[in-house]
Amino acid sequence: MTPFLAAMLIVHVIGGVIAIGIHNVVLMHLLKKAPNYVFVSRIAWSAAGLFLLSWATSAYYYVTYYGTAVKPRILAGALPAGHIFFMETKEHIFLVLPFLAISIALCASYLRANPDDALRKSTAFLTLVALGIGAATAASGIIVSGSV
Amino acid sequence: MTFLELLVIVHVIGTVLGVGAATFAEIHYTRFNSDNIITDDERKTLAITYTVMRTGLFLLVVSGFAFLLYFRLTEHVAALTSPSFWAKMTVVGVLVGNALLLQARIMPLAVGAAVSLTSWYTALVLGVIGKTDATYFEILLYYAGATIIVGGSLRLIRAHFHSPKSI
Repeated sequence: MTPFLAAMLIVHVIGGVIAIGIHNVVLMHLLKKAPNYVFVSRIAWSAAGLFLLSWATSAYYYVTYYGTAVKPRILAGALPAGHIFFMETKEHIFLVLPFLAISIALCASYLRANPDDALRKSTAFLTLVALGIGAATAASGIIVSGSV
Repeated sequence: MTFLELLVIVHVIGTVLGVGAATFAEIHYTRFNSDNIITDDERKTLAITYTVMRTGLFLLVVSGFAFLLYFRLTEHVAALTSPSFWAKMTVVGVLVGNALLLQARIMPLAVGAAVSLTSWYTALVLGVIGKTDATYFEILLYYAGATIIVGGSLRLIRAHFHSPKSI
């Protein structure tokens, strides 16, 4: 693996993990009765940006390296499910995450100007869904790496 | 200093902050709530303690994933499938879920406190012992047992501090 590809992988993982962590903070604040929506919307947009960055770097890594150098090793190894199930699931479900993150950020920005308890609760639920998908995606990534 | 040593230091700092803050959150809460009143100053002290705990959790998770990357890039991937590693990941997941349930006021405080304290110490113990012969489910069984014991102990300690003072 070249240093550039290693850097792409590092940005993908660390960017994604921090974005998941930010969604955790967003959810913690949205569970309050009167959250600081200025803070919540700022960090929600940061999460959306980090997910897009993580998405773009992983796409480059996948297209230029994973398919030719990593995937055959996993399929020939002791844990082929690492690619067949976990990577296949991860790469499709992960497509949803940046759009979920943008939706959460848009809701948080709307709540800044128009505080609404029903929308706060709905946004909290959406963030919980994004957090669950994010955690499952991270766990899948570890399994894929462990299958090499 | 190598990159791996730096990661170890950050990981240990995260664990120390988390375990220390979880311990002092319990000590402070038990002490402050002994008269059933938590003043503004006491609330601020607890808030700072929880902030330190969350900082520890953040450092622990980020450095933990940095470890995973290091193992992946250096092709030492056996650690990623070990039972103790996945048990530690589960414990960290429980810590995050517990914090969310406490924030949403779904989790009773007595149960949440026991889960938080036990989870932090379990993460510490798993990190220290490293490789173990125990399976994933055996580790989780010990963890569940420890949570029940810690919950019972905390209940007794709180009852002791709430008991009327002898004259």
